[in-house]
Amino acid sequence: MNRRTAALLLAAALLAALLAATAVAPPYLSVPVPERAYLGPFEAPPFGLDERGVPLHEIALQGAAIVTVPAILSGLLVMVLATFAGLVRCAGIGWVDGVIQVGSELVGALPRLVVVLVVALLLPKEWKVLLPIGLAWAVLAAPGAMDEAAAYAGRIGGARFVEALRAHGFSRWRIYGYHVIWLNLRPVIVRQGAEVTMQVVFLEIALSYLALRQNEPSFTHADSEFSWASLLYKGYTALLGVPLLHALWLGLALVAAVAILAQSVRYAARAR
Amino acid sequence: MVVALALPLVVPAIITAVLWLLPGDPAEIICPPEICDGTEALAASFGLDKGPAQFYLRWITSAARGELGNSWRIMQGFPVAELIWESLPTTALLALMALVPLTFGGVAAALGWLSSRLDAVWQAVGLAPAVILALVCAAFVEINFGARSYDGVAGWLRLGLGAGVLALADGALAATVMGTRASFEEEVKQRYIQIARLRGESAVANALPNLLPALVGQTRARVLHILSGTVVVEVVLGIPGLGELLFDGTLAQDFGVVLAATWAFSLLSALLLLGQAGVEVAVALWVRRAPRLAELPA
Repeated sequence: MNRRTAALLLAAALLAALLAATAVAPPYLSVPVPERAYLGPFEAPPFGLDERGVPLHEIALQGAAIVTVPAILSGLLVMVLATFAGLVRCAGIGWVDGVIQVGSELVGALPRLVVVLVVALLLPKEWKVLLPIGLAWAVLAAPGAMDEAAAYAGRIGGARFVEALRAHGFSRWRIYGYHVIWLNLRPVIVRQGAEVTMQVVFLEIALSYLALRQNEPSFTHADSEFSWASLLYKGYTALLGVPLLHALWLGLALVAAVAILAQSVRYAARAR
Repeated sequence: MVVALALPLVVPAIITAVLWLLPGDPAEIICPPEICDGTEALAASFGLDKGPAQFYLRWITSAARGELGNSWRIMQGFPVAELIWESLPTTALLALMALVPLTFGGVAAALGWLSSRLDAVWQAVGLAPAVILALVCAAFVEINFGARSYDGVAGWLRLGLGAGVLALADGALAATVMGTRASFEEEVKQRYIQIARLRGESAVANALPNLLPALVGQTRARVLHILSGTVVVEVVLGIPGLGELLFDGTLAQDFGVVLAATWAFSLLSALLLLGQAGVEVAVALWVRRAPRLAELPA
Protein backbone atom coordinates (compact mmCIF):
# COMPACT_ATOMS: atom_id res chain seq x y z
CA MET A 1 0.00 0.00 0.00
CA ASN A 2 1.53 3.32 -1.05
CA ARG A 3 1.35 6.55 0.95
CA ARG A 4 -1.38 8.03 -1.22
CA THR A 5 -3.65 5.04 -0.63
CA ALA A 6 -2.88 5.13 3.09
CA ALA A 7 -3.80 8.84 3.20
CA LEU A 8 -7.00 8.14 1.29
CA LEU A 9 -7.98 5.33 3.67
CA LEU A 10 -7.21 7.48 6.71
CA ALA A 11 -9.29 10.35 5.31
CA ALA A 12 -12.15 7.99 4.48
CA ALA A 13 -12.05 6.49 7.99
CA LEU A 14 -12.06 9.89 9.69
CA LEU A 15 -14.85 11.19 7.45
CA ALA A 16 -16.89 8.06 8.08
CA ALA A 17 -16.37 8.51 11.83
CA LEU A 18 -17.55 12.13 11.62
CA LEU A 19 -20.63 11.20 9.60
CA ALA A 20 -21.43 8.30 11.93
CA ALA A 21 -21.07 10.62 14.94
CA THR A 22 -23.43 13.08 13.25
CA ALA A 23 -25.97 10.32 12.62
CA VAL A 24 -25.97 8.99 16.19
CA ALA A 25 -25.62 12.33 18.03
CA PRO A 26 -28.26 12.64 20.78
CA PRO A 27 -30.58 15.66 20.46
CA TYR A 28 -30.19 16.37 24.21
CA LEU A 29 -27.49 15.51 26.74
CA SER A 30 -28.17 12.94 29.48
CA VAL A 31 -29.51 14.10 32.83
CA PRO A 32 -26.56 15.34 34.96
CA VAL A 33 -25.42 13.08 37.80
CA PRO A 34 -23.50 15.46 40.12
CA GLU A 35 -22.15 12.65 42.34
CA ARG A 36 -20.32 11.18 39.29
CA ALA A 37 -18.83 14.54 38.25
CA TYR A 38 -15.21 14.72 37.06
CA LEU A 39 -14.88 10.95 36.59
CA GLY A 40 -12.09 10.12 34.13
CA PRO A 41 -12.21 7.84 31.07
CA PHE A 42 -11.24 4.75 33.09
CA GLU A 43 -14.03 5.17 35.67
CA ALA A 44 -16.64 6.30 33.10
CA PRO A 45 -15.71 5.07 29.62
CA PRO A 46 -15.24 6.05 26.87
CA PHE A 47 -14.16 9.65 27.60
CA GLY A 48 -15.22 10.37 31.18
CA LEU A 49 -17.69 12.89 32.61
CA ASP A 50 -17.74 16.65 32.99
CA GLU A 51 -18.23 18.82 36.10
CA ARG A 52 -21.98 18.02 36.13
CA GLY A 53 -21.55 14.29 35.57
CA VAL A 54 -22.57 14.44 31.90
CA PRO A 55 -20.72 12.01 29.57
CA LEU A 56 -18.20 13.85 27.41
CA HIS A 57 -18.79 11.53 24.45
CA GLU A 58 -22.30 12.96 24.12
CA ILE A 59 -20.82 16.46 23.81
CA ALA A 60 -18.33 15.13 21.24
CA LEU A 61 -21.18 13.59 19.22
CA GLN A 62 -23.29 16.74 19.37
CA GLY A 63 -20.26 18.80 18.34
CA ALA A 64 -19.76 16.54 15.33
CA ALA A 65 -23.41 16.97 14.38
CA ILE A 66 -23.05 20.76 14.54
CA VAL A 67 -20.01 20.97 12.26
CA THR A 68 -19.93 18.03 9.84
CA VAL A 69 -22.60 18.83 7.26
CA PRO A 70 -22.08 22.66 7.14
CA ALA A 71 -18.29 22.23 6.90
CA ILE A 72 -18.53 19.68 4.08
CA LEU A 73 -21.05 21.82 2.16
CA SER A 74 -18.82 24.89 2.56
CA GLY A 75 -15.85 22.91 1.24
CA LEU A 76 -17.93 21.71 -1.70
CA LEU A 77 -19.02 25.28 -2.49
CA VAL A 78 -15.38 26.40 -2.67
CA MET A 79 -14.55 23.41 -4.87
CA VAL A 80 -17.39 24.29 -7.27
CA LEU A 81 -16.34 27.94 -7.47
CA ALA A 82 -12.66 27.06 -7.95
CA THR A 83 -13.57 24.57 -10.69
CA PHE A 84 -15.66 27.25 -12.38
CA ALA A 85 -12.75 29.72 -12.33
CA GLY A 86 -10.35 27.11 -13.72
CA LEU A 87 -12.77 26.18 -16.50
CA VAL A 88 -13.37 29.84 -17.38
CA ARG A 89 -9.62 30.38 -17.76
CA CYS A 90 -9.33 27.28 -19.94
CA ALA A 91 -12.34 28.23 -22.03
CA GLY A 92 -10.78 31.67 -22.59
CA ILE A 93 -13.94 33.64 -21.67
CA GLY A 94 -12.20 36.95 -20.98
CA TRP A 95 -15.11 38.98 -19.61
CA VAL A 96 -16.12 36.30 -17.05
CA ASP A 97 -12.47 36.12 -15.99
CA GLY A 98 -12.53 39.90 -15.51
CA VAL A 99 -15.77 39.80 -13.49
CA ILE A 100 -14.28 37.05 -11.28
CA GLN A 101 -11.19 39.17 -10.63
CA VAL A 102 -13.17 42.30 -9.71
CA GLY A 103 -15.48 40.22 -7.49
CA SER A 104 -12.47 38.61 -5.82
CA GLU A 105 -10.95 42.03 -5.16
CA LEU A 106 -14.16 43.25 -3.51
CA VAL A 107 -14.84 40.12 -1.46
CA GLY A 108 -11.22 39.80 -0.36
CA ALA A 109 -10.88 43.41 0.74
CA LEU A 110 -12.23 42.95 4.27
CA PRO A 111 -10.97 40.72 7.12
CA ARG A 112 -12.96 37.47 6.88
CA LEU A 113 -13.94 37.14 10.51
CA VAL A 114 -15.28 40.70 10.52
CA VAL A 115 -17.60 39.84 7.63
CA VAL A 116 -18.59 36.57 9.31
CA LEU A 117 -19.53 38.43 12.50
CA VAL A 118 -21.63 40.89 10.52
CA VAL A 119 -23.36 37.95 8.80
CA ALA A 120 -23.93 36.34 12.21
CA LEU A 121 -25.42 39.58 13.52
CA LEU A 122 -27.72 40.04 10.57
CA LEU A 123 -29.04 36.47 10.55
CA PRO A 124 -32.54 36.07 11.95
CA LYS A 125 -32.63 34.08 15.21
CA GLU A 126 -34.19 31.00 13.63
CA TRP A 127 -31.24 30.79 11.15
CA LYS A 128 -28.61 30.81 13.89
CA VAL A 129 -26.88 27.63 12.77
CA LEU A 130 -23.44 27.05 11.33
CA LEU A 131 -24.51 26.54 7.70
CA PRO A 132 -25.05 30.19 6.62
CA ILE A 133 -21.94 31.27 8.53
CA GLY A 134 -19.92 28.44 6.97
CA LEU A 135 -21.20 29.29 3.50
CA ALA A 136 -20.32 32.95 4.08
CA TRP A 137 -16.80 31.85 5.06
CA ALA A 138 -16.63 29.72 1.92
CA VAL A 139 -17.65 32.67 -0.26
CA LEU A 140 -14.95 34.77 1.41
CA ALA A 141 -12.36 32.03 0.91
CA ALA A 142 -13.44 31.40 -2.68
CA PRO A 143 -11.52 34.29 -4.33
CA GLY A 144 -8.18 32.81 -3.23
CA ALA A 145 -9.20 29.33 -4.38
CA MET A 146 -10.57 30.65 -7.69
CA ASP A 147 -7.45 32.70 -8.28
CA GLU A 148 -5.20 29.71 -7.63
CA ALA A 149 -7.27 27.39 -9.81
CA ALA A 150 -7.34 29.95 -12.64
CA ALA A 151 -3.57 30.52 -12.34
CA TYR A 152 -3.00 26.77 -12.41
CA ALA A 153 -5.21 26.45 -15.49
CA GLY A 154 -3.24 29.29 -17.06
CA ARG A 155 0.06 27.53 -16.35
CA ILE A 156 -1.03 24.35 -18.10
CA GLY A 157 -1.79 26.44 -21.20
CA GLY A 158 -5.36 27.66 -20.62
CA ALA A 159 -7.28 28.02 -23.87
CA ARG A 160 -4.31 26.72 -25.92
CA PHE A 161 -4.31 23.49 -23.89
CA VAL A 162 -8.00 23.01 -24.67
CA GLU A 163 -7.38 23.82 -28.34
CA ALA A 164 -4.61 21.23 -28.50
CA LEU A 165 -6.89 18.58 -27.00
CA ARG A 166 -9.65 19.53 -29.44
CA ALA A 167 -7.21 18.96 -32.25
CA HIS A 168 -6.87 15.40 -30.98
CA GLY A 169 -10.61 15.03 -31.53
CA PHE A 170 -11.55 14.68 -27.83
CA SER A 171 -15.10 15.49 -26.76
CA ARG A 172 -15.85 18.53 -24.56
CA TRP A 173 -16.63 16.31 -21.60
CA ARG A 174 -13.34 14.47 -21.95
CA ILE A 175 -11.36 17.70 -22.34
CA TYR A 176 -12.91 19.65 -19.48
CA GLY A 177 -14.07 16.85 -17.19
CA TYR A 178 -11.14 14.49 -17.50
CA HIS A 179 -8.06 16.36 -18.73
CA VAL A 180 -8.65 19.79 -17.20
CA ILE A 181 -10.49 19.02 -13.94
CA TRP A 182 -9.56 15.46 -13.04
CA LEU A 183 -5.98 15.31 -14.25
CA ASN A 184 -4.87 18.92 -13.67
CA LEU A 185 -7.11 21.00 -11.42
CA ARG A 186 -7.97 18.20 -8.97
CA PRO A 187 -5.06 18.74 -6.53
CA VAL A 188 -5.74 22.48 -6.22
CA ILE A 189 -9.51 22.15 -5.98
CA VAL A 190 -9.50 19.29 -3.47
CA ARG A 191 -6.86 21.01 -1.31
CA GLN A 192 -8.84 24.24 -1.23
CA GLY A 193 -12.05 22.36 -0.41
CA ALA A 194 -10.35 20.38 2.36
CA GLU A 195 -8.82 23.53 3.83
CA VAL A 196 -12.12 25.39 3.89
CA THR A 197 -13.85 22.38 5.46
CA MET A 198 -11.23 22.39 8.21
CA GLN A 199 -11.44 26.17 8.60
CA VAL A 200 -15.22 26.08 9.02
CA VAL A 201 -14.88 23.49 11.81
CA PHE A 202 -12.25 25.66 13.49
CA LEU A 203 -14.43 28.74 12.93
CA GLU A 204 -17.32 27.08 14.75
CA ILE A 205 -15.03 26.12 17.62
CA ALA A 206 -13.65 29.66 17.80
CA LEU A 207 -17.04 31.39 17.66
CA SER A 208 -18.61 29.04 20.22
CA TYR A 209 -15.59 29.31 22.51
CA LEU A 210 -15.68 33.11 22.37
CA ALA A 211 -19.42 33.11 23.12
CA LEU A 212 -18.89 30.72 26.06
CA ARG A 213 -16.15 32.96 27.38
CA GLN A 214 -18.53 35.93 27.32
CA ASN A 215 -21.32 33.81 28.89
CA GLU A 216 -23.55 34.33 25.86
CA PRO A 217 -25.33 31.82 23.59
CA SER A 218 -23.45 30.89 20.42
CA PHE A 219 -24.79 31.88 17.02
CA THR A 220 -23.69 28.58 15.46
CA HIS A 221 -26.04 26.19 17.27
CA ALA A 222 -29.09 25.98 19.50
CA ASP A 223 -28.72 26.51 23.26
CA SER A 224 -29.63 22.86 23.87
CA GLU A 225 -26.62 21.66 21.85
CA PHE A 226 -22.98 21.59 22.87
CA SER A 227 -20.09 22.29 20.55
CA TRP A 228 -16.54 20.90 20.72
CA ALA A 229 -15.69 24.36 22.06
CA SER A 230 -17.36 23.43 25.35
CA LEU A 231 -14.90 20.53 25.70
CA LEU A 232 -12.05 22.99 25.28
CA TYR A 233 -13.75 25.45 27.61
CA LYS A 234 -14.16 22.79 30.30
CA GLY A 235 -10.67 21.49 29.58
CA TYR A 236 -9.21 24.95 29.97
CA THR A 237 -10.26 24.94 33.61
CA ALA A 238 -8.03 21.85 34.01
CA LEU A 239 -5.03 24.08 33.37
CA LEU A 240 -6.19 26.17 36.32
CA GLY A 241 -6.52 23.17 38.64
CA VAL A 242 -9.99 21.69 37.97
CA PRO A 243 -9.81 17.87 37.37
CA LEU A 244 -11.06 18.00 33.77
CA LEU A 245 -7.88 17.30 31.85
CA HIS A 246 -9.66 14.46 30.03
CA ALA A 247 -12.03 17.05 28.49
CA LEU A 248 -9.07 19.05 27.22
CA TRP A 249 -7.43 15.98 25.67
CA LEU A 250 -10.68 15.00 24.00
CA GLY A 251 -11.20 18.51 22.61
CA LEU A 252 -7.63 18.69 21.32
CA ALA A 253 -7.88 15.18 19.83
CA LEU A 254 -11.00 16.19 17.90
CA VAL A 255 -9.29 19.34 16.58
CA ALA A 256 -6.27 17.22 15.59
CA ALA A 257 -8.53 14.66 13.89
CA VAL A 258 -10.07 17.37 11.73
CA ALA A 259 -6.63 18.75 10.82
CA ILE A 260 -5.41 15.22 9.98
CA LEU A 261 -8.53 14.62 7.88
CA ALA A 262 -7.90 17.77 5.83
CA GLN A 263 -4.20 16.97 5.39
CA SER A 264 -4.95 13.37 4.39
CA VAL A 265 -7.45 14.49 1.74
CA ARG A 266 -4.92 17.00 0.48
CA TYR A 267 -2.15 14.39 0.37
CA ALA A 268 -4.34 11.80 -1.35
CA ALA A 269 -5.36 14.28 -4.06
CA ARG A 270 -1.93 15.81 -4.74
CA ALA A 271 -0.43 15.71 -8.23
CA ARG A 272 1.60 12.63 -9.14
CA MET B 1 -8.01 52.12 -6.13
CA VAL B 2 -11.75 52.22 -6.90
CA VAL B 3 -12.33 49.40 -4.39
CA ALA B 4 -10.32 51.31 -1.76
CA LEU B 5 -12.43 54.43 -2.20
CA ALA B 6 -15.72 52.54 -2.41
CA LEU B 7 -15.17 50.20 0.54
CA PRO B 8 -15.90 52.64 3.43
CA LEU B 9 -19.05 53.79 1.61
CA VAL B 10 -20.34 50.39 0.50
CA VAL B 11 -19.85 48.45 3.75
CA PRO B 12 -22.19 50.59 5.93
CA ALA B 13 -24.65 50.78 3.00
CA ILE B 14 -24.89 46.98 2.83
CA ILE B 15 -25.27 46.62 6.62
CA THR B 16 -27.96 49.32 6.68
CA ALA B 17 -29.84 47.75 3.76
CA VAL B 18 -29.80 44.28 5.34
CA LEU B 19 -30.85 45.73 8.71
CA TRP B 20 -34.02 47.08 7.10
CA LEU B 21 -34.58 43.93 5.05
CA LEU B 22 -34.71 41.82 8.21
CA PRO B 23 -38.12 41.02 9.62
CA GLY B 24 -39.28 43.58 12.19
CA ASP B 25 -38.51 47.20 12.90
CA PRO B 26 -34.84 48.10 13.62
CA ALA B 27 -35.98 50.26 16.54
CA GLU B 28 -37.53 47.18 18.17
CA ILE B 29 -34.07 45.66 18.42
CA ILE B 30 -33.00 48.43 20.79
CA CYS B 31 -36.28 48.55 22.62
CA PRO B 32 -38.50 45.47 22.15
CA PRO B 33 -42.14 46.66 22.64
CA GLU B 34 -42.97 43.70 24.92
CA ILE B 35 -40.38 44.81 27.49
CA CYS B 36 -40.12 48.57 27.05
CA ASP B 37 -42.15 51.58 25.92
CA GLY B 38 -40.99 54.61 24.03
CA THR B 39 -39.78 52.69 20.99
CA GLU B 40 -40.80 55.58 18.71
CA ALA B 41 -38.90 58.15 20.75
CA LEU B 42 -35.83 55.92 20.75
CA ALA B 43 -36.15 55.38 16.99
CA ALA B 44 -36.17 59.15 16.50
CA SER B 45 -33.14 59.67 18.73
CA PHE B 46 -31.14 56.97 16.86
CA GLY B 47 -32.26 58.26 13.44
CA LEU B 48 -34.15 55.08 12.62
CA ASP B 49 -37.55 56.69 12.01
CA LYS B 50 -36.94 58.05 8.51
CA GLY B 51 -36.01 54.88 6.65
CA PRO B 52 -32.74 53.27 5.52
CA ALA B 53 -31.64 55.92 3.00
CA GLN B 54 -31.95 58.78 5.50
CA PHE B 55 -30.28 56.70 8.22
CA TYR B 56 -27.36 55.82 5.93
CA LEU B 57 -26.86 59.38 4.68
CA ARG B 58 -27.03 60.78 8.19
CA TRP B 59 -24.66 58.11 9.52
CA ILE B 60 -22.09 58.42 6.73
CA THR B 61 -21.99 62.24 6.87
CA SER B 62 -21.58 62.09 10.66
CA ALA B 63 -18.89 59.41 10.24
CA ALA B 64 -17.00 61.72 7.90
CA ARG B 65 -16.92 64.21 10.80
CA GLY B 66 -15.73 61.52 13.21
CA GLU B 67 -19.11 60.98 14.89
CA LEU B 68 -20.13 57.32 14.69
CA GLY B 69 -23.44 57.43 16.52
CA ASN B 70 -24.29 55.86 19.85
CA SER B 71 -24.16 52.32 21.18
CA TRP B 72 -27.53 50.54 21.02
CA ARG B 73 -26.92 47.84 23.61
CA ILE B 74 -23.39 47.43 25.04
CA MET B 75 -23.31 50.91 26.60
CA GLN B 76 -26.65 52.30 25.45
CA GLY B 77 -26.40 55.94 24.42
CA PHE B 78 -22.60 56.09 24.79
CA PRO B 79 -20.77 57.55 21.74
CA VAL B 80 -19.32 54.68 19.70
CA ALA B 81 -16.48 56.86 18.39
CA GLU B 82 -15.02 56.97 21.90
CA LEU B 83 -15.21 53.17 22.17
CA ILE B 84 -13.51 52.85 18.78
CA TRP B 85 -10.77 55.37 19.61
CA GLU B 86 -10.10 53.60 22.90
CA SER B 87 -9.74 50.18 21.27
CA LEU B 88 -8.13 51.04 17.92
CA PRO B 89 -4.56 51.72 19.20
CA THR B 90 -4.46 48.34 20.98
CA THR B 91 -5.53 46.47 17.85
CA ALA B 92 -3.10 48.47 15.70
CA LEU B 93 -0.26 47.68 18.13
CA LEU B 94 -1.22 44.00 18.21
CA ALA B 95 -1.27 43.83 14.40
CA LEU B 96 2.06 45.65 14.11
CA MET B 97 3.67 43.34 16.67
CA ALA B 98 2.34 40.32 14.76
CA LEU B 99 3.83 41.69 11.55
CA VAL B 100 7.35 41.76 13.06
CA PRO B 101 7.99 37.97 13.00
CA LEU B 102 6.24 37.73 9.64
CA THR B 103 8.48 40.42 8.17
CA PHE B 104 11.61 38.79 9.58
CA GLY B 105 10.45 35.43 8.24
CA GLY B 106 9.83 36.90 4.77
CA VAL B 107 13.19 38.70 4.68
CA ALA B 108 15.05 35.62 5.92
CA ALA B 109 13.32 33.46 3.29
CA ALA B 110 14.14 35.96 0.52
CA LEU B 111 17.80 36.07 1.53
CA GLY B 112 17.97 32.29 1.79
CA TRP B 113 18.70 32.31 5.54
CA LEU B 114 15.76 30.02 6.28
CA SER B 115 16.20 26.51 4.94
CA SER B 116 13.25 25.06 3.03
CA ARG B 117 13.64 21.98 5.26
CA LEU B 118 12.08 24.07 8.04
CA ASP B 119 8.92 24.65 5.97
CA ALA B 120 7.38 21.48 7.40
CA VAL B 121 7.80 22.98 10.90
CA TRP B 122 6.02 26.24 9.97
CA GLN B 123 3.28 24.27 8.22
CA ALA B 124 2.80 21.95 11.21
CA VAL B 125 2.57 24.89 13.63
CA GLY B 126 0.27 26.69 11.18
CA LEU B 127 -2.23 23.84 11.33
CA ALA B 128 -3.13 24.89 14.87
CA PRO B 129 -6.16 27.19 14.93
CA ALA B 130 -5.75 30.60 16.57
CA VAL B 131 -8.25 29.75 19.29
CA ILE B 132 -6.17 26.78 20.53
CA LEU B 133 -2.87 28.68 20.60
CA ALA B 134 -4.58 31.67 22.22
CA LEU B 135 -6.07 29.36 24.83
CA VAL B 136 -2.64 27.99 25.74
CA CYS B 137 -1.26 31.53 26.00
CA ALA B 138 -4.21 32.68 28.13
CA ALA B 139 -3.64 29.73 30.48
CA PHE B 140 0.06 30.62 30.75
CA VAL B 141 -0.75 34.23 31.69
CA GLU B 142 -3.53 33.29 34.11
CA ILE B 143 -1.43 30.62 35.87
CA ASN B 144 1.54 32.97 36.29
CA PHE B 145 -0.19 36.30 36.88
CA GLY B 146 -3.77 35.49 37.90
CA ALA B 147 -7.05 35.52 35.99
CA ARG B 148 -7.67 39.25 36.42
CA SER B 149 -4.20 40.45 35.43
CA TYR B 150 -4.56 42.88 32.55
CA ASP B 151 -2.11 45.67 33.44
CA GLY B 152 1.65 46.02 33.61
CA VAL B 153 3.78 43.01 32.69
CA ALA B 154 0.75 40.73 32.34
CA GLY B 155 -0.90 43.19 29.95
CA TRP B 156 2.20 43.39 27.76
CA LEU B 157 2.61 39.62 27.94
CA ARG B 158 -0.96 39.18 26.71
CA LEU B 159 -0.19 41.53 23.81
CA GLY B 160 3.11 39.82 22.97
CA LEU B 161 1.68 36.32 23.14
CA GLY B 162 -1.36 37.46 21.14
CA ALA B 163 0.94 38.82 18.44
CA GLY B 164 2.84 35.52 18.44
CA VAL B 165 -0.41 33.60 18.04
CA LEU B 166 -1.49 35.81 15.14
CA ALA B 167 1.86 35.29 13.45
CA LEU B 168 1.96 31.52 13.88
CA ALA B 169 -1.65 30.32 13.79
CA ASP B 170 -3.66 29.37 10.70
CA GLY B 171 -0.55 29.11 8.54
CA ALA B 172 0.36 32.83 8.55
CA LEU B 173 4.12 32.37 9.02
CA ALA B 174 4.23 29.31 6.74
CA ALA B 175 2.47 31.23 3.96
CA THR B 176 4.76 34.24 4.37
CA VAL B 177 7.99 32.25 4.36
CA MET B 178 7.02 29.90 1.54
CA GLY B 179 5.26 32.59 -0.53
CA THR B 180 8.19 35.01 -0.35
CA ARG B 181 10.73 32.30 -1.08
CA ALA B 182 8.72 31.00 -4.05
CA SER B 183 8.40 34.53 -5.48
CA PHE B 184 12.15 35.14 -5.23
CA GLU B 185 13.10 31.70 -6.52
CA GLU B 186 10.89 32.23 -9.57
CA GLU B 187 12.25 35.73 -10.21
CA VAL B 188 15.95 34.85 -9.93
CA LYS B 189 15.50 32.38 -12.79
CA GLN B 190 14.88 35.38 -15.10
CA ARG B 191 17.54 36.28 -17.63
CA TYR B 192 18.12 39.82 -16.31
CA ILE B 193 19.01 38.41 -12.89
CA GLN B 194 21.52 36.03 -14.43
CA ILE B 195 23.12 38.93 -16.32
CA ALA B 196 23.16 41.01 -13.13
CA ARG B 197 24.91 38.14 -11.38
CA LEU B 198 27.54 38.04 -14.16
CA ARG B 199 28.07 41.74 -13.52
CA GLY B 200 28.70 40.93 -9.87
CA GLU B 201 25.45 42.52 -8.65
CA SER B 202 23.15 41.13 -5.99
CA ALA B 203 20.28 39.01 -7.27
CA VAL B 204 17.97 40.14 -4.44
CA ALA B 205 18.64 43.85 -5.05
CA ASN B 206 17.79 43.41 -8.73
CA ALA B 207 14.73 41.26 -8.17
CA LEU B 208 13.24 43.33 -5.35
CA PRO B 209 11.89 46.29 -7.38
CA ASN B 210 10.09 43.93 -9.77
CA LEU B 211 8.75 41.80 -6.95
CA LEU B 212 7.74 44.68 -4.72
CA PRO B 213 4.14 45.05 -5.97
CA ALA B 214 3.54 41.30 -5.53
CA LEU B 215 5.18 41.33 -2.08
CA VAL B 216 3.10 44.32 -0.99
CA GLY B 217 -0.02 42.49 -2.20
CA GLN B 218 1.00 39.44 -0.14
CA THR B 219 1.66 41.67 2.88
CA ARG B 220 -1.79 43.24 2.54
CA ALA B 221 -3.33 39.77 2.55
CA ARG B 222 -1.31 38.93 5.70
CA VAL B 223 -2.46 42.10 7.45
CA LEU B 224 -6.09 41.28 6.62
CA HIS B 225 -5.50 37.76 7.97
CA ILE B 226 -4.04 39.25 11.16
CA LEU B 227 -6.93 41.70 11.55
CA SER B 228 -9.35 38.81 11.12
CA GLY B 229 -7.53 36.86 13.82
CA THR B 230 -7.53 39.77 16.26
CA VAL B 231 -11.17 39.03 17.08
CA VAL B 232 -10.31 35.56 18.43
CA VAL B 233 -7.03 36.54 20.07
CA GLU B 234 -8.40 39.65 21.77
CA VAL B 235 -11.42 37.88 23.25
CA VAL B 236 -9.50 34.79 24.45
CA LEU B 237 -6.56 36.76 25.84
CA GLY B 238 -8.72 39.59 27.21
CA ILE B 239 -7.06 42.31 25.14
CA PRO B 240 -9.41 45.33 24.92
CA GLY B 241 -9.22 45.99 21.17
CA LEU B 242 -11.42 46.58 18.17
CA GLY B 243 -11.91 42.84 17.59
CA GLU B 244 -13.25 42.32 21.10
CA LEU B 245 -15.52 45.34 20.70
CA LEU B 246 -16.88 43.96 17.42
CA PHE B 247 -17.47 40.52 18.94
CA ASP B 248 -19.23 41.97 21.99
CA GLY B 249 -21.34 44.13 19.67
CA THR B 250 -22.29 41.08 17.61
CA LEU B 251 -23.24 39.01 20.65
CA ALA B 252 -25.29 41.86 22.10
CA GLN B 253 -26.88 42.69 18.69
CA ASP B 254 -25.53 46.22 19.03
CA PHE B 255 -25.82 47.44 15.44
CA GLY B 256 -24.42 50.84 16.40
CA VAL B 257 -21.15 49.30 17.57
CA VAL B 258 -20.96 46.70 14.79
CA LEU B 259 -21.64 49.30 12.10
CA ALA B 260 -18.91 51.58 13.43
CA ALA B 261 -16.38 48.80 14.12
CA THR B 262 -16.92 47.29 10.66
CA TRP B 263 -16.54 50.74 9.15
CA ALA B 264 -13.26 51.15 11.05
CA PHE B 265 -12.07 47.80 9.66
CA SER B 266 -13.16 48.85 6.15
CA LEU B 267 -11.18 52.10 6.55
CA LEU B 268 -8.10 50.08 7.55
CA SER B 269 -8.62 47.81 4.54
CA ALA B 270 -9.02 50.83 2.27
CA LEU B 271 -5.79 52.31 3.62
CA LEU B 272 -4.02 49.04 2.91
CA LEU B 273 -5.38 49.00 -0.65
CA LEU B 274 -4.27 52.61 -1.15
CA GLY B 275 -0.82 51.75 0.23
CA GLN B 276 -0.55 48.86 -2.21
CA ALA B 277 -1.65 51.10 -5.10
CA GLY B 278 0.88 53.74 -4.00
CA VAL B 279 3.72 51.22 -4.06
CA GLU B 280 2.65 49.97 -7.49
CA VAL B 281 2.61 53.54 -8.84
CA ALA B 282 6.00 54.30 -7.24
CA VAL B 283 7.57 51.18 -8.78
CA ALA B 284 6.09 52.02 -12.18
CA LEU B 285 7.49 55.58 -11.94
CA TRP B 286 10.87 54.24 -10.84
CA VAL B 287 10.98 51.85 -13.78
CA ARG B 288 10.09 54.70 -16.18
CA ARG B 289 12.86 56.83 -14.74
CA ALA B 290 15.45 54.14 -15.46
CA PRO B 291 18.05 55.45 -17.95
CA ARG B 292 17.43 54.65 -21.59
CA LEU B 293 20.00 52.49 -23.34
CA ALA B 294 21.27 55.45 -25.40
CA GLU B 295 22.05 57.40 -22.20
CA LEU B 296 24.12 54.61 -20.71
CA PRO B 297 27.89 55.02 -20.85
CA ALA B 298 29.53 52.91 -23.53
